[in-house]
Amino acid sequence: MKIIACYSNKGGVGKTATAVNLAYALAAKGQRTLLCDLDPQGASSFYFRVKPSKKLTETKFFEDVERFTKAIRASDFDGLDILPANMTFRDFDVFLSRMRNSRSRLKKALKAVKGDYDVILLDCPPNISTLSENVFSAADGIIVPVIPTTLSQRTYIQLEQFFQANKLPLKKLHAFFSMTQGVKSLHGQTMEDMRKQHKKRFLKTQIAFTSDIERMGVQRAPVMATAPRSQAAQAYGTLHDELMERL
Amino acid sequence: MSLTFLPSYLVRSDALDTLSGKPIGKLRARLTRGENDFPFKVLDTHDEHLRRRGICLVRSGSDLLLWPAAHGPITQYVGKDPVEFVTDLPDGPVRQALGAVPELRSLLPMAQGRMQQVLLALVDTEEKTRARAEFHVLTAQDGSAAIVQPQALRGYDGAYTQLIKALGACGAKTLTEASVIAALNPDHRPYVAKPDLKLGAKTTAYDAATGIIKAYLAVARRNEAGIIADTDIEFLHDYRIALRKIRSVLSLFKDVYKDKQTLALKQQFSDLMALTGRLRDLDVYMQERQFFFDLLPESLHAGLERMFQMFAEERTAQLATLAAHLQSPAYEAEITALINRFDTCHKLRPGPEGDRNAQTYAAKLIWKRYRKICQIAEAIDDQTEDEMVHELRIQCKKLRYLMEFFAPAFPKTAFKSLLKPLKKLQDNLGLFNDYSVQQNSLTAFLDSLGTKDHDRNMQLAQSVGALIAVLHQRQREERLKVVDSFAMFNSKETQQTFRDLFHGGKS
Repeated sequence: MKIIACYSNKGGVGKTATAVNLAYALAAKGQRTLLCDLDPQGASSFYFRVKPSKKLTETKFFEDVERFTKAIRASDFDGLDILPANMTFRDFDVFLSRMRNSRSRLKKALKAVKGDYDVILLDCPPNISTLSENVFSAADGIIVPVIPTTLSQRTYIQLEQFFQANKLPLKKLHAFFSMTQGVKSLHGQTMEDMRKQHKKRFLKTQIAFTSDIERMGVQRAPVMATAPRSQAAQAYGTLHDELMERL
Repeated sequence: MSLTFLPSYLVRSDALDTLSGKPIGKLRARLTRGENDFPFKVLDTHDEHLRRRGICLVRSGSDLLLWPAAHGPITQYVGKDPVEFVTDLPDGPVRQALGAVPELRSLLPMAQGRMQQVLLALVDTEEKTRARAEFHVLTAQDGSAAIVQPQALRGYDGAYTQLIKALGACGAKTLTEASVIAALNPDHRPYVAKPDLKLGAKTTAYDAATGIIKAYLAVARRNEAGIIADTDIEFLHDYRIALRKIRSVLSLFKDVYKDKQTLALKQQFSDLMALTGRLRDLDVYMQERQFFFDLLPESLHAGLERMFQMFAEERTAQLATLAAHLQSPAYEAEITALINRFDTCHKLRPGPEGDRNAQTYAAKLIWKRYRKICQIAEAIDDQTEDEMVHELRIQCKKLRYLMEFFAPAFPKTAFKSLLKPLKKLQDNLGLFNDYSVQQNSLTAFLDSLGTKDHDRNMQLAQSVGALIAVLHQRQREERLKVVDSFAMFNSKETQQTFRDLFHGGKS
């Protein structure tokens, strides 16, 4: 089982769109996937039309196996389930380690309901907190959308510094350029600089700013499902392939 | 993701209109109809083995579809060739799901028509799907119905419950309760090799005997077409068993009919069976082909090959003769007359025991037969002549038939506790007999070989001779088990149950 975190310490960079489409792509490729919606401002549950569960407001939640398995909702797509839990998780690291341990009660409970996932995808809130620290150490890979602007460049550097300060392996970071705009020459320049500066950290794929992605909010479904031939859908497909190759 | 393995349902085809017509709780049904329809055939064995297991198998073009499944049907590509026996199917999901099926029964088209797929989604106010069902609407000439595979979605148990409730309101039944074949063909009568015969407290021996014979005449008739078409060898087997059961009613139910009539009828049924004996023997040989080859070393296989080739030719000839007989006006007239006679009881006069209560009559017959078996068995040790073992086998068979005929008159569990060890004993005796019969018939086969083609016949004789030797050895092995098998059957409990059920508890 793999744990992938979708993370950015800056909001509005297309993080949730990435999580939603990546989850869809994983499931479409036959990986049994659980998308955990950990971002109270994000809306991955919203995109799958899953209503947030009222029962899930206690921080102790992850110690309660039964409540956890009951909170999972099937999406409309085969092989993709959603954990619509937007809150802070004090015990999130406990949860993640239990997901890894095949003998844990949590894992057994999931197996019993055929919820033995191949991939757990975490849509993380945009800050550096205890939660994100837990996520960083537990995840096999962290996918980081970066808008090629000077400001985003600075927040990305902060993230790398945080990793170094906390002795976390930098190679877990898989950044990519998000919401790129071909006409802006600044974007092109920034991308070139950053690729040089952070060798190996950036994926080749970039996701351009398109109206198809914007329309996801209206369609309330991954763009890969509603417009599979669109440029955006194909770019997410390539992003999935490239990321999975690296993991 | 689906939660568990859920049952499939059968529902009237207009249920889709009902379901999409009005809201289901707070949910609404959204239908997506498949653009095309496809030809389909429902496949099952003659005795509807799959239907009785609650399974529906459909062939559509090059695919097999099978319900129930986790969601949607299980499918397997099988290409253009017809599927006759499940054992011939290449390995795949449908083959695996079918599991153990009777190897000798072929799959027959039981209903056919056109099939359309319709997906139903129960959606909430956010247009989120909360439960799903896949409908396969089957339309045949005389009826239509839909197979429904509901799918629960994790976290939405309530919606699934509502879906099942709504389906129930439309008259949906699980595939274990309802027959797709019957829904598509209202005139269809399922074939039952062992009909359930009712025995009332006041039924007379005469009525019981007549009822059994009537039922088995009908069974025999249901097998004629399959014998003629050579669909599979079980048709002839069942046909023969039906006739044999009738004959045993005539000989076991002493004095139920007038003596003279009984004798004449017995002769008539024996004659009907005689025409089928050789073909059945050959069917068994062909079936055991591999077994025989495995018994002998490869150096002797050429002779066996030739023997089986001769058997195959003889079988073709025997089948043609029997098929012609079954299609002849004379046979039709004879069997119709028999059916009418047992239907109307015309020229079927009761004998001195005819008016006796069937149950007390049965108890008397079974007890007598059981005592006889014990007597024979007590005299058998490892040195006794084989003749006695054959006698024991015949008596056990008679006991078994008697018990099966009268089973409805006795307590089920106690009866079962007797039948199970009896069957085991019969298996041992049956093998002993089979090996013996095969030796005799192989010897006869050798004797029948002419003097022509001396060299090849020598080769054949060598193989068959070796085979007879092996079969003899096997027969000895079975013979050695007989004393123990009987002791296993005739335990203290068995003895007590026989006394309790058939002899008022007395010994």
